[in-house]
Amino acid sequence: MAFLILVLSSIYNNEKTEGEERCVAHPIKAHKYWQNKITEYAADMNIVLAYYNFLDDWEDDSKIISYGEAKFFENDYNKVEKKYPKKCSYIKNQLDELSNIERRGVMNPDIPGKIFGNILGEVFSYNKDEYEEDLRAFGNSLGEFIYIMDAVLDFKKDLKKERYNPLVGTPTKNFKDILNILMHETVENYKKLPIEQDKDIIENVLYLGVWTQFEIAKMKNKEKNNEGSL
Amino acid sequence: MKDPYKVLGVSRDASDEEISRAYRKLAKKYHPDLNNGDEYSTKKMGEINAAYDEVKNGTAGSSYGYGGSSYYGSSSSSEFNNFSAVKQYIAMGRYAEAINILSGVSNRSAEWYYYSAIAHAGIGNRITALGHAQKAVEMDPYNQEYQRILNTLQGGGRSYQQQRSTFGDIGNIGTYCVRFALLNLFCLWCC
Repeated sequence: MAFLILVLSSIYNNEKTEGEERCVAHPIKAHKYWQNKITEYAADMNIVLAYYNFLDDWEDDSKIISYGEAKFFENDYNKVEKKYPKKCSYIKNQLDELSNIERRGVMNPDIPGKIFGNILGEVFSYNKDEYEEDLRAFGNSLGEFIYIMDAVLDFKKDLKKERYNPLVGTPTKNFKDILNILMHETVENYKKLPIEQDKDIIENVLYLGVWTQFEIAKMKNKEKNNEGSL
Repeated sequence: MKDPYKVLGVSRDASDEEISRAYRKLAKKYHPDLNNGDEYSTKKMGEINAAYDEVKNGTAGSSYGYGGSSYYGSSSSSEFNNFSAVKQYIAMGRYAEAINILSGVSNRSAEWYYYSAIAHAGIGNRITALGHAQKAVEMDPYNQEYQRILNTLQGGGRSYQQQRSTFGDIGNIGTYCVRFALLNLFCLWCC
């Protein structure tokens, strides 16, 4: 969620951005106001995703420990749900759809990728204002990339364990092209956002950070002297 | 064409989940990535994919993985070459309808993959679009139209990759200390 905070802060701390309680004489206060609100929001969204993640683990594998953890989260989650009832029900709905798709073994990777994109889009569209739609579009494409990247990284493991992986029917030689295309889309959406503050760090994530796991996996693959899927 | 149920080794009344499980078992056995990319397994996996696709929805990577026509419904063996309706829908930007028509066709020519790539690109299914454009080019490598659509689809990814190279290699990441993970709680300042 650190990346979410970074992006939202950059947009809402922008000097041109008017905060509801913004005080012209105290720009630092305005800065703090947004910073606190955004940090709180990111923490809330983290609780929502973590809560469903645990529930999902629990349903999948009947892990007692996850159930316990979910219970632990439940209080926090209930508070967040009261704060953002629409967001929470939308995210839950999309996650249900995602697990439905995985259960049915849908072969077209675009379908689950987009659903996961919807979830991240909802998380990124922080406020009902002029940035909402651009942030949502950015979240959508980034979410799709993350979902597919995850599928690429888990590809062999999923194959061996006979688990659902949306890329099983896709030629592995296409993986890198696919990821580049999805990131291109993400960066195009990023360019529409008024990002100034922390621009370098954000772009570093978008051009390099998102590939870290991929590069590590590639290196490990090479060590094993096995070109494989990457 | 082989009976897809036989290829997957399931009965015709098998449930969705049974079919998926059978497919995953076969994928584990035959996926070229787990077989050092040998030719036999590549061919076999292609058959398995086609069979699974047909049993599941009678469509190749349709955006509506729900239902669709059955094995019997799409068993026309003659080549489909009536693309005029598909072209019209594409021209009108009604990609979903174009995909609908295409998905009813079981005998898939290079032209079929070409139009399918365009329609899927239109609806935003980038992965399917790329796969189908590639297939069209593989089947008919000298067709410049097919080559052109494939290049267009790959173009964005290439320009991203070029921009990426101006950021230096991944080793630089350490200076910023940002590692990307979706559920990585506030870890930006903790590394």
